[in-house]
Formats: sequence, structure tokens, C-alpha cells
Amino acid sequence: MHQPLSLSDKWIQENNALVNKWEEQEGGGDTLTRNQNHTRLIWCSSEFHKLLRKIQGIPPIADHTQLELTVVFNACLCLIAQSQFLEAESLLTQATERVPQMTEDGPFASDPPVFWKIALKSVGNTALNPCVMYLLCLQWAIWLATCKLQTIQELQNELLSVFETLSSGVWDEERSASRRMSSDIPLPVMDQRRLIELLQICTFIAQGAERLSEGRSSEALAGLQSASSLPAPRTLISYTHFLSGSCLAHMNRPQMALQCYRMALETDSQCVCALYQSMLIYRQHGNTQAEIQALRLLHSTLMLPSATEASPAGTHLLPSSLLLQSQSLSSLLSVPSALSVLHSLALKCVLHERVAEGVEYYLDLLAALHTEDQHGVHAGGPSLPKLPELYLQAGAALLMARRPADCMALCDEIITTTLELLPKKVVLKEPEECEGETRAACAEVEDGVWMLLWVGAAYLLQGHCHTHLRDWEQAVTTYTRCINLLVKVRFKKRGCQPQIPSADMVGMQGTNLCILQRLKGLSLAGRGISFTQTDQLREGLRDLQLSIQALPEGKCAGLWCGEVLWRLGRKREAVACWEKTWSFTPHFSVQSLSLYLQEPQSGPLLDSTELRCRIEELCPTLSG
Amino acid sequence: MGNVVLGSYWSKLRRAEFCDGVPTTHPLSTTGLKRRFRPTISHSELRHVCRPARQFFFFVFVVSAMEGRCAVETWAEFGSSGTACTPWLKVGFGTDVLLCTGVDEVYVYSPREGKLTAVIEGPGPVTDLVESPDQQCLYVACASGVYRVSSRLLGSRAGRSPADASPRAGALKLSPESLAFAEEGVLSLLLVGSVLLTLCQRDSSWILTLYRSSDLERLRSVRVPLAVPSETGRRRRPLLTCVQPSAGGVRLEPILFKLLFGIDAALAKSPVVLCGLPDGRLCFLPLRPAGSRLGVLHSLEQPVVFVGASGVADAGRGLARCLVAVGEQGRVVLIESEGGGDRAAFVEGCVPGPVRCGCVDKKRLYYSTGSDLLALHLPEGSPEREGPSVEKSRVTPAALRSPSSLNVCRVLALAEPTCNAAGQVELLGLSARGQLQRITLPVDSEDAGWPKAPSTRGGRSVGDLLSAIGDVGERAAVLKANVKSKNQILRRLNQVLNISFLLAAGTDGEEREKPIGCRATASWSRLLEEDSLTLTCVLDNSSPYVLERGWTLSVAASPLSGPPAAGGQSSSAHFSFPFHSLHPGETLEVSLPLAAAGESCFPVTVSCSLIFSLAGLLGEEAAVLPGLQPACVSLPLNTLTVDWLHALRVTSPAHGKAPSQSSNTSDAVQAFLRLRRLSCGGGAEVAGERERHAASVRVSAASLRDAPALRGCEADAQGGVRSPPRNVGLSLMEWLLSEALGGVTAVRRGDRSALRCSVVHGRDPSGHPVKLTASEVDVAEQAGGREETLTAVEVRVESSSVAAVCGLHHAVLTRVQAALQTAPGRAAPEKRTQGSGLRKALHRAERLLQQIQQSRISGAVGVGVSTGQACQSLLSVYQELRENPLLVI
Repeated sequence: MHQPLSLSDKWIQENNALVNKWEEQEGGGDTLTRNQNHTRLIWCSSEFHKLLRKIQGIPPIADHTQLELTVVFNACLCLIAQSQFLEAESLLTQATERVPQMTEDGPFASDPPVFWKIALKSVGNTALNPCVMYLLCLQWAIWLATCKLQTIQELQNELLSVFETLSSGVWDEERSASRRMSSDIPLPVMDQRRLIELLQICTFIAQGAERLSEGRSSEALAGLQSASSLPAPRTLISYTHFLSGSCLAHMNRPQMALQCYRMALETDSQCVCALYQSMLIYRQHGNTQAEIQALRLLHSTLMLPSATEASPAGTHLLPSSLLLQSQSLSSLLSVPSALSVLHSLALKCVLHERVAEGVEYYLDLLAALHTEDQHGVHAGGPSLPKLPELYLQAGAALLMARRPADCMALCDEIITTTLELLPKKVVLKEPEECEGETRAACAEVEDGVWMLLWVGAAYLLQGHCHTHLRDWEQAVTTYTRCINLLVKVRFKKRGCQPQIPSADMVGMQGTNLCILQRLKGLSLAGRGISFTQTDQLREGLRDLQLSIQALPEGKCAGLWCGEVLWRLGRKREAVACWEKTWSFTPHFSVQSLSLYLQEPQSGPLLDSTELRCRIEELCPTLSG
Repeated sequence: MGNVVLGSYWSKLRRAEFCDGVPTTHPLSTTGLKRRFRPTISHSELRHVCRPARQFFFFVFVVSAMEGRCAVETWAEFGSSGTACTPWLKVGFGTDVLLCTGVDEVYVYSPREGKLTAVIEGPGPVTDLVESPDQQCLYVACASGVYRVSSRLLGSRAGRSPADASPRAGALKLSPESLAFAEEGVLSLLLVGSVLLTLCQRDSSWILTLYRSSDLERLRSVRVPLAVPSETGRRRRPLLTCVQPSAGGVRLEPILFKLLFGIDAALAKSPVVLCGLPDGRLCFLPLRPAGSRLGVLHSLEQPVVFVGASGVADAGRGLARCLVAVGEQGRVVLIESEGGGDRAAFVEGCVPGPVRCGCVDKKRLYYSTGSDLLALHLPEGSPEREGPSVEKSRVTPAALRSPSSLNVCRVLALAEPTCNAAGQVELLGLSARGQLQRITLPVDSEDAGWPKAPSTRGGRSVGDLLSAIGDVGERAAVLKANVKSKNQILRRLNQVLNISFLLAAGTDGEEREKPIGCRATASWSRLLEEDSLTLTCVLDNSSPYVLERGWTLSVAASPLSGPPAAGGQSSSAHFSFPFHSLHPGETLEVSLPLAAAGESCFPVTVSCSLIFSLAGLLGEEAAVLPGLQPACVSLPLNTLTVDWLHALRVTSPAHGKAPSQSSNTSDAVQAFLRLRRLSCGGGAEVAGERERHAASVRVSAASLRDAPALRGCEADAQGGVRSPPRNVGLSLMEWLLSEALGGVTAVRRGDRSALRCSVVHGRDPSGHPVKLTASEVDVAEQAGGREETLTAVEVRVESSSVAAVCGLHHAVLTRVQAALQTAPGRAAPEKRTQGSGLRKALHRAERLLQQIQQSRISGAVGVGVSTGQACQSLLSVYQELRENPLLVI
């Protein structure tokens, strides 16, 4: 005869139906959007809560406890998946307090570690032990997600024993055998063994990252290396390798670090942070070719559509990212945006004799910036230089690649856009000088200076282009525009009136003043050379001498100044000039300058050896 | 709600179709004034189209103002939702108007066809909608997500004529299949090139999300933290708009563009999304270069209700010279370049708020405060301001202080202004009542400033003014009439309230005679060869108030007992008599058929009540108020009872006997014998004669003599002279048959002498002969061990119809009771006990009870006796009860 279902059987059925429904949807859930997934989660959570309210409506009975705790587990897991940690935590404690064995033990400790220790002790070795342990696992997950590593440390022994007990799975065996077959066992919504494994490795990773950021690299390394052999998803394993690599890099063992990074990449090809960190190591050690290679790989990896992580079944509910939210880890895992990587790549190529390649990257970068398709763009990380700066760099690269027409077009763009915004007069101030004024006013002046320098640089590049095309008159016109613009800038020193800056005022490299002087020197030199080419030697000489004044380390200007002097018959002065130019050692590396501030390679060049021959001819006694 | 409005809209539209395009003048409105000034009104005249209640007319109405005049033409009416959502309207598909009044539906109205072409019905309130640049589809933002609707789908709907089939044929329901992407609570949409932007509010921030419109892939989302914690209540819609540096859309002067949005955006030629938030911030986001950050341009410190670009620097390229933002409380900020392009100037001013919506054209900002539509002339050219470099000039330019009124009220949403062929600016507005209006502004005089009219047009101007004055007069007359009618209504309402209080006061506790009440007379009349009992009700207004138009006398007649009608409903009849006015002291007489002959469901309770309907009071105005239930005030008056005695048709003795004695020979002896048999046999049957039933009531003569009701009757009968006591039985009989009891008088035609007789013959409503006999009898009483005799009057009812006997017996008993109740209290010693009689009666009653129970048991079990037998036994019990009654003293 058919017996009516008991209440607890009904509840078990209800629970299992929910779990099965969730798993069913999860099975075909790849096509679901994040949003839909979230909605589903909310629904599931509320259903479990409804069920739980029903079950908890009656006083705790020993027969029901296992069912109740399983439903608590499910409801709580849904809450954690929605990042509602506080609610989940209070639900856990309340549920545990309802366990009959617990109620016998009297008042509860408010301190969570003590509470759980008591809880584990009071259930002892009864059949309820695993249920309470699973709840402790959820508490563990909450601590992990809220970065309470200290608490986890305190309970380490208990957690370890929980891990060992549960993963050995003495109780689990017969249950898993009959799982799905019988309907009288309440099912958990997530595979509990997977949960424990996940918690274990995430704890290792979080602790490793924390220790690494505290500078305890060797301590971190030990934990991470033991974690790398745990059964876990690929992503997490690759994190352990990556963090090991970071520890080693901290401990000054770049080669071993690179090994670890490689292992991380081999485990999970999406582990871009490992690629980025290896690139940094190459850069640090001056291995340019490797660095370029790494950058290229990094860029192409970043441009890949973000692969949907093939997380193993049963972990959809609790993604590892939810458990790994510590600040130190995320800063370690951060990678610059694809565009910023592309820019580095382009610049590196151009600076290291791979101009054609670099130009292509620059053009890719500009194209990417002009689309509204903002794939691979995310906030954070070093931001890109301003757009005019990128234009100028690209222009310079184009000129280097002997594409003056393209360079001119880019410069035109900058000039037409910026020209009308240029301030009428600009007073540069020492950085200290700025303190007194409001930040906004200072920023405004700064913006004006930048725009002026950009337009100046654009004119300079155009001048270079004309020089390259041997259109001397046009070159003179363009250089003149540049010079006229630049001389508008006055420099104000403390306690002095604003004045036209001179070379001796340049204090630090990279400041606006330095760039201004460099632009001035280069444009004067360019105009001088152009005059020289059209046989206006006097004008040429004047410009070249002014150029040397503005930029003593200018090689072109020095050599051409000598050349003009030579042609004018002032051969001794010419020789002195040449000698001085050769003997001048720049006090900073040219490579660190922006591309467009470097001396042009494309103009009419003087051959140093030929000049030396001339010197020898002139005064054999001197050289002899 | 929406459905109802729409349904009525369709019907209105059909009526309006004949006059679409050129508004026709309704004959009623062509007053003399209008005709007189008609020649001065040019074709491009300013019109105001207005809709009187119930009908959908167009008539021309000119609104005048000092500066100019504005024509308002109502195209359609959609009804107002009254929800918290902001209504909006947009122009799309060329010239179609897409609008939403804050409900779940978006209406697509085609001005060309002059009708509604489609309705898009969302699953929730539609917050925003954008059209793709190729007009191929619409993106509709609803509560749960953004839907993509192909305009082809709309087109096929639009093809149907609104006249055919159901009015809902044009509705396109947004189905989950057309969901483009799910996103909760999208408040605003914007489509820029290939990027679709959505703006929604999450707990603590605004989220601007970018989607690629081709495949709706989510590109990026930008979060703006809320400046102030989100307020409850009306959820304001943030605004999204876009400005372009050079091509497409609203183009901004390059210099201003660069100053505001930076050199990067200018170099990338990026469209910039402007976002006006309800917390007052005006944010911008350049779409290029990739990864640009969102910046705050300005803060109005009050909800932004409008952001737009205006002012044309050089007409050739059509570039906007300044940005305008308007806050809800009337703060206006103009953003323009200053000092030849050195910096951007933020000029702030204040206009009288609140500002509900706004729009700009080349020179003016139009905004609506809800009570008026105003135009603000934006200053032309860069305002010359020297002096220290102030970023925000707090000096309010004069221009911002003097908006000019356009005299159009209740505009809640405005679409972009357009210019018609005649050079007039046309605005599309949505009014608070859900009317779609086209507001045509007068031609702006380019050369002479805005307020001054050119002298060349002076003559025209005078004519215009005259016509305007005429129209204002007309308007004033309408308003006056309106006020008058409202006063009238108030006065009437006052009367109604007075009457209500008067009648309500009588209902509590004691039965007080109401100043307004009903009397009735019942009479038999012959209509269409059928006899029927007609009740004539008289409503008597003895109150000091007038019962005016709107009151209805309602009479409900329901039988106290009767066979249940089919369907279990009570077989009551309701009659309503609306009347015009009933002054104090006046009466209203109405007649209603109570029962036809043969229907004997007496007694009938007649309840009278007065009903007042509000709809009647408001008249036509009630009809335009949607959702107004027909509200009524119902005041119960009194309740009348028409019983068997009222319905009894008395026949003269000779006449009355004729039908009954046609079969038997008339013989006094026989009659006597029969009577005897009846009285002692208790319904024993005489062979060959139909069964006769009888019942009697005995009343002590002494008590009857004291009853004032009877005395009055006697006095009447004797012509006011107090005569020595007559035969009590005779006067009782007379009183029974003629007195108005329960407010109902029976009118008996014919021989009144028939009533002055101790034996009255008559017929019951079904035509059965009935005999009523009143006789004095002596009743022996056993009191205190000695025999006493009491004089009593016995009223005896005899008829062959059981129903008649029962009914009449009941009626007589009721009346005698009523008569005795009015008698003054009798002294106690006179009270005698009917000791032996009572005991006997008690015994008999017990026996009868047993008998009844027996018959009920047998009836219930259904065995033993047949139904006929059971009836028989019950009947005998009844008769035994009625026989030998107790004496009523």
C-alpha cells in the first residue's frame, strides 16, 4: 500500500529537486549571460531559504538535523555566491546553534574560532560530524573571501583535520555510491569534496600573496610550492607557480623566477601576469629581444577574447575569484591594458632598430584608439600618454621609416587641432614656484605649456620632413614657425623677472624646460642646416650658433656649425667647433628622450671620418 | 488604464479624421468676433485647438502675449498616466512622433496621416527609446532590459487602418524574443554611431554601459558614484545626449569642444556623451580614444532637466556655439568659449522655476514650468567680459533674467524644435493631460530685437491685437460661464447635503416622522382587459428645502413572502422616478403597477428612497473625468406595506354573492346551516360544495372602544358628532376596510354602503370570493372560580381560497394589533385572565404541535403518508389554530 510521504521525506524531495534543477541549468549554462546567471542564483537562494524556514519552523529534532544542515549548507552557499557574507555567517551560526548536541552544551562563545571549536567538539564522532564540518567549510570560505587570514591561521589545526577527515571521505563512500539513486538523502548544491579542495588551495594562494607582500618571500615560497601539487583547477595551480616565481624574483633569483613563470604559463596559457612579470625581468636585465618577444606575446594574449574559464563542474557556484579578493594578490596579478602594452612594444621596436615593425605597431595603436570598440581596455594600470604625444611619437617613427608624407599628415592633425588653443604667452615656473598658486591655475598653465610644446614638436617634425625631402625653403618656414612659437615662453625663477630661458637653466631632464630647450636647439639647428643648403651661410651660421647655445649637446648643430665656418674660410674655428662637439658627452641617455626629441637621422649628414680627414689635412701637425 | 485611454483615443481619432491636417473651425466657436477679425488673420495664423468635453472638435483659438502669439494645435490625446515616471516624446522615422506618457506603452503618431500608427507595449514602464540611424530598428528600454524592435514590424502594424477590427490591432507587444540584452532598470538610452549606451542606477552609483550595437556585445561600463544618497520618491530620469566635434549629430564649435573635452577627444574626433544626472552633475565621456575617463563638467546642484547645444556661430557649418543645461529649480548654465578661445566660460543664471522640460533652437531656450511655456533668448556672440579671469561668472547676464512667456500651459515634455516652411519655429509638446500638441511660434523678427515689432508690420499688428482682444474677451466669457456653473453646482450640492442630513437624522433611534415621506393609495384598475392593483405613491416634501434636479424617487416593491422566482432571486420590482424639482410643501404623485390580478403575493413591502446622483450634478463635466464612478447618495424614506385587506375587492352584498351562489340556491337557512357546520365542523366538507376555509379573530369590545384609531373613524363616520356607541363590530369592519394603515389607503369604488355592513363580501386578487363577518359574541370566562362573560367582537374570514383566508387573517390581526397599540394603557384591574381558555388553548397547542411534528417526520422520511395527506393534516392543524382563537383584550 502506498504510504503518504513523511514531512522530512517531502522536504528532502524538495531540496533535491532544487539541487537537480540548478545542476541541470548549470549543465547547459554556458550560453547564459552573467546577468541571467545572477537572476537564477537569486531565485535558487530564495527557494532554499523558503525551504529552510519551513524546516526550522519546528523545534530541532535529531532525525531532521542532517536534512536541516544540508539545506543550511545549500542556502548559505547561495548567499556566499551572491557575496552576502554577513547574512551567510549569521545563518551558519544560527543553524549550528540549533543542532541538538550543541544546545546541551549551554551558552555559546561569541568568538567565532572558539565557537567552532566547541561545535566540533560537541558533535564529537556522531553522524552529524561531517555536516557540521561542511558548515565550518562554508565559514572558512567566508573568512577567505573577506580576507580574514588571521582567523584561518588561528583555526589552522581544526581546518586541517576537517580537510583530512572530509577528503579521506570515510563517510562519503557509501553515500556517494547511493547518491542519486535513493531519494532519502538530501543533496548538497555543490560537490562538497570540490569545495574543500578549492578552499585548501585558495587559502595557500591568499596566504602566499599576503606573505609575499609582507616581504616574507621564503616563507611564502614553501607554502606555495606545496600547494602546487594539490588537485585543483588549472588557473589556481598556475597562480601558485606564478606566486612562487614572484617570490624568487624578490629573492633575486631571476632565472629560477623565469622558470616558475614558464611553468605557470604552461599550466594555464591565460596566465598573462606571468608573461608580464617575465617581460619585466627581461627588461631589467636588458634583454631587449626577449622583452620585445614577451611584449608581443602579452599583447596578443590580451587581445584574445577573454576565454571562458572552463571551470570544472560544480564550481560554477563558487568561482575562485570570489575567494581570492585580497588586495595584495590582485596587485600582483594586475597587468597593464592591451593598448599600453602595444605602446611599449611599438616604442621598444623603434628604439631598438626595428623601425618598420615599430611603425606598424604605432599605426595599430592609433587605429585602436580611434575605434569605439574598446576591447581590452580596463581601468587601472599605467595609463597611456596623451594622444598628441602618441601622434608625435608615431610621426617620428614614420619619419625614421622614411615616410615623411605620413608624418606630415599626423603633425598637421596636431597643429590644426591645437593651434587655436595655444596660450598667448606662457611663463614657465620652477616646480616649487607653483606651490603658492592654486592647483587648478597651475594645471591650466601646465596644459598650455604642453600644448605649446606639442605644436612646437609637430612643427619640428614637419621641418625634419621637409629637410628629408630637400625642400629647404619649406623647411626654413616650418622651423621658423617652431622657433617663433618657442621663444614666446618665458622662464620665471624665484625672485626674478620672467626671461628667455637659456641652456644653463635646465636643471633636470624630462622637465618642460628641458624639452623646450631641446626643441629650440633642434629647430634652430634644422633651420641653420636648411640655410646652409641654400647657401645662406651667414643666416645658417647664426642659427647654428644659437642652437649650440640652446642645446650644447646637439651633435648636428656642432658639426654643421663647423662645416659652415669651414666654408666661410674660418677653418681653425671650424676645427675647434668639431673637436668640441666630439668631446661633448651628454649627461643623460638619448634613449630616454621622447622619440621626436631625438636628432633626426634623415637630414643631410656630415661624415665624421671625412671631417677628421679635413682636420688632418689642415693641420697635420696637430694630429700628428 | 492604458487600454481604456487608447480605446477611447481610437474612437476620437476616427471622428477627428475628417478634419486632420487643416484644423477646421467648429461652428459653435465661430462667434461674431471671430468672423469680424478673420480677415486680419493670415494663413500662418496661430491656432489653439482645444477639445470640449465629450466631443472632439477643433476650433481656432488665438493666444496673445505682448511679445508674440503662439498657436497650439492638439493632434491627439493619450490620457495622462499620473505615474511617477517622466513622460517623454521624440521625433523618429522622419516625422513620426514617438511618445510615452509614463505607462507601459509607446505611441507612434504620424502627423502626416494624422493618426496613431502603432503602439509598442512593453512589459513594464518604458523609460526610453532610441532609433537606429538607418531607421531600421528601435531600441526600447524597459524595466527589465533593452528590446530591439524592427521598424518593419511597426510598419506592418501601421499599415492597418485604425478603423478595422479591434482598436488594439496596432499594438506591438515586446516579447522576450526581441530582448536585446537584459539589464535591470535602464533609465536612459543613447545611440552614438555603433555604440549603444545605457544608463542605470545601482545601489550607490550610476552605471553607464557601452554596447556594440551590431552584436550587442558589452564593451565597457563606467561607474559614477552617487553624489548624494539616492532619494526615494519620484525617480528622475537622467539625460543622455551627444555632441560631435565635426561630423554628424549636434556639432559643437571646435574651440569650445577642445576646451571642454580636451585635446585627446578632439584629436580622436570623438563623439562626447553628455550626461545630466538628477544630482545636478553634468558629466561627459568621450568615446575615443579608447579608455577615456568620465569627467564632470559642471554641477547645477539641482536635478538636470535639460542639456543641449545652441547658438550658431557661423550659419554655413551649423556649429553650436554653446552648451546649455537647465536645472529643475530654474538654474541655467551657458557654457561657451570666452576671450577668443582662451577658456570656457560657465555663465550661470536663474529663471523662475520649476522647470519641467526644455529644448533649444538656434537662438532660444524653450522651457516649460508646467504653468507656462517660456522662451529665453540666448545671448548672441561672446559676451564681452574683461577683468580678472573668473572661471565661473556669477554675474547673471541680463538675457537670462528675462524669459518671455508663450502662454502655453501644462507642457510636460518637449521634442526638438523644428522650423516649418514659413520660417516659424514649431515645438512638439506633451501636455499634462496627455495631449500631443504642436506649438507654432511666431516668426521671429530677425532684424529688430525680440520684443519689438517691426514698424512695417504696424498695421497688421493692430489687426492682430484687435483680434487678440476679441479672443481674450471670448475666453473671459467662457471662464465666467464656467465659474457661474461651478457656483450653481456648489449651491445645489449644499441643498443635497442639507437634505441628506435631515433624512439621516431620522434614522437613528426613535421613529420620528420624517419631513419628507411617502404615502400611497392602492386601487384596482382595469388595464388592457386585465385587472391590476395600482399603487399611487405620493412624495410629500414638508421640509424647508427644495428637492432639485438630480434627485430620483426610487420605489422597491418586494413581497414579504412569495414563491421564489426562478434563479433564486427575490421577485422584487424597482421603479425610479427622476423628477425636476419639488419645492417645500409640494407633493409628487407617481403610480406603479403593484400586482396583476391572479398574482397574490401579498403583503408587499414598498420601500421608498431618494437617490441623488453626482453625475447628474456635474453634468457633462463628469463625462470627461476618466475613472469617475457614477457616485450616488441614497437616502431611505419610509416603508409601506400593502396587505390583503388593501387588495381586497369589495363587492356589494347582492353582487358579491352572485358568483358564489350561482351554483347553490340562495337560502338564508341554508347559509345559516352552512355557517354552523363550518364553525363547529372545522372545515368539514359539505358534499357538492367547494371546500371553504375560515379563520377568525376575537377582540374584546371594551378595548376596541378605547382604541383612538377606531374612535377617530367613528367620529368621521358620524360627521364629527359624538354619537352614543354604535355597534363596535360594524365600526371595526369599516375601519378595517377603509383606514390607511401603514401609510397605504385602499381606494374602493362603488357603494360605500357595502362597507357599512357587518358582513362584507369581496374578492381576493385571484378572484376568489371572500366573506368577512364582524359580530359581537359573548365569551364565557372562568376567572377566580366564577363564570364571567366578556363582550367581544369576532371578525371572521371565510373563503374557498386558503391563501386568501391566511392573508386576510394576518392582515386583520396586524391591524387590530396596531390599533390596540395606539390605545392608551388600560388600567391593571381590568385585566382579566382567560384562565380556562388559556389552559384549553395550551392543551390544544401541544396536541397540534405533536401533530405537526408527526407530519414533518413522516414528510421528511417520505414514508407512510403521501404528500397530499401531509398537506391535509397540516391544513387541518392550521385551521384548528385559527378556529376558536383567544380573545384579544
